[in-house]
Amino acid sequence: MRTRREIRARKALWDRIAYHGIGIGTAFFFLAPFAVSFLASFRPNSESGRPPLPPWPISGMSFDAYRALDSFGAGIWQHMFNSLLVSIGTVFLTVAVSVLAGYGFSRYRFPFKNALFVLIIATLMIPFQSILTPLFIILARLGLNNSLVGLMLVYVTLQLPFSVFMMRNAFDAVPKEIEEAARIDGARDLKLLVRVLLPLVMPGIATVSIFAFLNAWNEFFAALVLLSSNDNYTLPVLMTAVRAGRLGAINWGAVQAGVAVMVVPCLFVFLLLQRYYMRGLMAGAVK
Amino acid sequence: MANGISNKSVVLSDIRKSYGGLEVIHGIDLTIEEGDFVVFVGPSGCGKSTLLRMIAGLEEVTEGEIAIKGRDVTDLDPSERGIAMVFQSYALYPHMSVSENLGFGLKMARTDPAEIERRVAQVSAILKIDHLLDRRPGQLSGGQRQRVAIGRAIVRKPDVFLFDEPLSNLDAELRVSMRIEIARLHRELGNTMVYVTHDQTEAMTLADQIVVLRDGRIEQAGSPRGVYEDPANMFVAGFIGSPRMNFLDAEWQGDGTIRVGEATLEAAIDGGSLKHGERLLLGVRPEHIAVAEPGPERITAQVEFSEYLGGTRYLYCQLEDGQSLVVEQRDGPDWQAGERLSFAVPEDRRRFFAEDGRRLR
Ligand SMILES: Nc1ncnc2c1ncn2[C@@H]1O[C@H](COP(=O)(O)OP(=O)(O)OP(=O)(O)O)[C@@H](O)[C@H]1O
Ligand SMILES: [Mg+2]
Repeated sequence: MRTRREIRARKALWDRIAYHGIGIGTAFFFLAPFAVSFLASFRPNSESGRPPLPPWPISGMSFDAYRALDSFGAGIWQHMFNSLLVSIGTVFLTVAVSVLAGYGFSRYRFPFKNALFVLIIATLMIPFQSILTPLFIILARLGLNNSLVGLMLVYVTLQLPFSVFMMRNAFDAVPKEIEEAARIDGARDLKLLVRVLLPLVMPGIATVSIFAFLNAWNEFFAALVLLSSNDNYTLPVLMTAVRAGRLGAINWGAVQAGVAVMVVPCLFVFLLLQRYYMRGLMAGAVK
Repeated sequence: MANGISNKSVVLSDIRKSYGGLEVIHGIDLTIEEGDFVVFVGPSGCGKSTLLRMIAGLEEVTEGEIAIKGRDVTDLDPSERGIAMVFQSYALYPHMSVSENLGFGLKMARTDPAEIERRVAQVSAILKIDHLLDRRPGQLSGGQRQRVAIGRAIVRKPDVFLFDEPLSNLDAELRVSMRIEIARLHRELGNTMVYVTHDQTEAMTLADQIVVLRDGRIEQAGSPRGVYEDPANMFVAGFIGSPRMNFLDAEWQGDGTIRVGEATLEAAIDGGSLKHGERLLLGVRPEHIAVAEPGPERITAQVEFSEYLGGTRYLYCQLEDGQSLVVEQRDGPDWQAGERLSFAVPEDRRRFFAEDGRRLR
C-alpha cells in the first residue's frame, strides 16, 4: 500500500509537470514567430525564396538580407534614426503633458472638471483615420507637413487621451496624506511633483511610455500620409517600400531583416520599463 | 503669567470653515498655552480633523485668524507655520528609506547634510528606530511606521505638534505603549501638542486641556477632571465617560427637591427659574451609584442583567417607568436578574440638566 506521503509527492510532481508544460507550450507559441523571422533573416540571397520551413539558413549564415535592406531609401540607419526620433520624442512629450494633466485632474478642483475629462476620454472613440485629412491641412498650414516633428505632434495628440486617463488614475492612487506631509515638510510645486509624487506614479509613467513608444514606432498610416519625401520615412513606411520590392519581385530576405530590426527596440523598451510594472511600491506608505 | 502674549502658543479667533455653501466650523475661539497638550474630542464628523488641518495650513480658513507664537499664520504655507503633523495613516514616503523620510523636511529647508545626519541620528535614538534607518516603510511594522512618522515630526523642531488620530491604526496593546511614549515625548520635548482622538482613555490620560466639539462648535474646554466632573451641559456629560452618565427623568418639586420615580432627592440648584412640576434631568455616573437599604431617598430598580469585567461589574437595571440605569460595582454580592434593588446617590454626585441640555447649577 502506498503511503500518503508518496501519494502527495506524486501529485506534486504531476502538478509541476502540468504547470511547466503549459507554461513552456504557451511561451513556444509566443516566441516561435520571433525565432522564425530572426533565423530567416540570416539566410543567404539564394535561399530567400525557399519555403519558410525550416526557417534557419541551410548553407551557412549570411548578412545578405541586411545588406539588401540597407539599399532601400536613404539607408536603414537614416530610417532607424527617423523612427527613434519620432518615437522617443512622442514618449517624452506624452509623459510630460499627461503627468501634468493627470495631476491636475486628480488633485485640483475646477469648473467642468468631469465634463472635460469625459470629453478627453471620448476622443478615444473617434477613429483617427477620419481626422487625418484635417490634421494634414492643419500641419500644412503650420508648415509642418512632411516633417518628423509634425508627425511626432500628431502621435502625441493621438496618445494623450489614454495617457491622461492612466496618469489620473495613477495620481488618484497616491494617498492625499503623503502629499500633505510633503507640503508640511516644505516641498512645493515642482519639487513636490518631482521629489515625492513622480516616484510613486512611476508604474503609470512606465505604462504610458511603453504604449506611446510602441504605438509611435509601429504606426503606419499617418506616417504614410503625412510624410512625402523618401528620406523622412519611418521604418513601417520603409517596410512597405521593401515589401513592394524591385520590378515586382518581393525580397523576402530584406522583409525578414526589416522585421528583426523593428522588433529589437520594442523588446528593449519593454524590458527596460517592465520592472516598474512591479506592484507593491506603494506598500507601507499608509496603514 | 506676566508676559501674556509669549505664553500663548496657538490662538484661534472666530475660526469658520465652509465647504461650498455649507458651514462646518461655526466660529471657534480657543487659546492654547505654550507647552500644553490639548486634545480635541467629539463625535464623528464634528470637525476635529478640519480644525486641526486648518491649524496645519492644509485647509484654508474661510473666516477668522490663526496665530502661532504671536505670529499671524492664517495665510502662510504649512511649512512656514512652525508646525509638524502626524497622520493617522502615517503618510510616509514609500520610496525613501527611513532616514530619508526623517531628513526630508530638513533637506527641503536646505539644511547642511551633516546637521541633517546629526539630527536624524538623535531623533532615531529617542524613538529607538536607529536600527531601522536603511529600511523602506514597506518593511516596517505598524508601530515602527508610527514611530518614524512621529520622528519625522520631531526632526523639524516645530513649535506645535499636530496629531490626527495617530494611534487608531494600531492594535490595543501597541496603542497603550505608544500612548505612554507620546506622553513621555511631551514631557521631554515640552512642545505644544494638539491631538485629535476618538479614544476617551487617550484623551483623559494625555490631555492638559480637553476640547469637546460638537457640530463645529466648542461645547466645553477644560482639564480632563473639570470636563469629567463638572460638565458644562448634557452633551459633554454624556460624551465623556464610559459607560456614559445615566440621565433620569425628574420633576422639580419647588422646595429644593426633585422626584425621580418613587424617590425624592435633594437638589442643590438654584430653582428660581423653575416652575413647580417642571421636568428636568438628573445625571449620575455609574460608579457613583451604590446599592443601599430601602428608603425614601432611594431609587429602586430591577436588575436586567450584569456584566462581569474582572474587578468591576456593571448592573444594567430598569426603573419602574422603563428608564434604564447602569450601575458600576467594585465588590459586593452577585445580583441575579429580576432582583429589585435600592440605590443611593450621594448628594455631591448629582448633576442636573434642563430639558434642553443646559446644566442647572
Ligand atoms: N472636502 C470636504 N467637502 C465637504 N465637506 C467636508 C469635507 N471635508 C470634511 N467635510 C465635512 O466637514 C465635517 C467635519 O469633518 P471632519 O473630517 O473634520 O470630522 P471629524 O471630526 O474629523 O470626524 P472623524 O472623527 O470621523 O474623523 C463633516 O461633516 C464632513 O462631512
Ligand atoms: Mg477626523
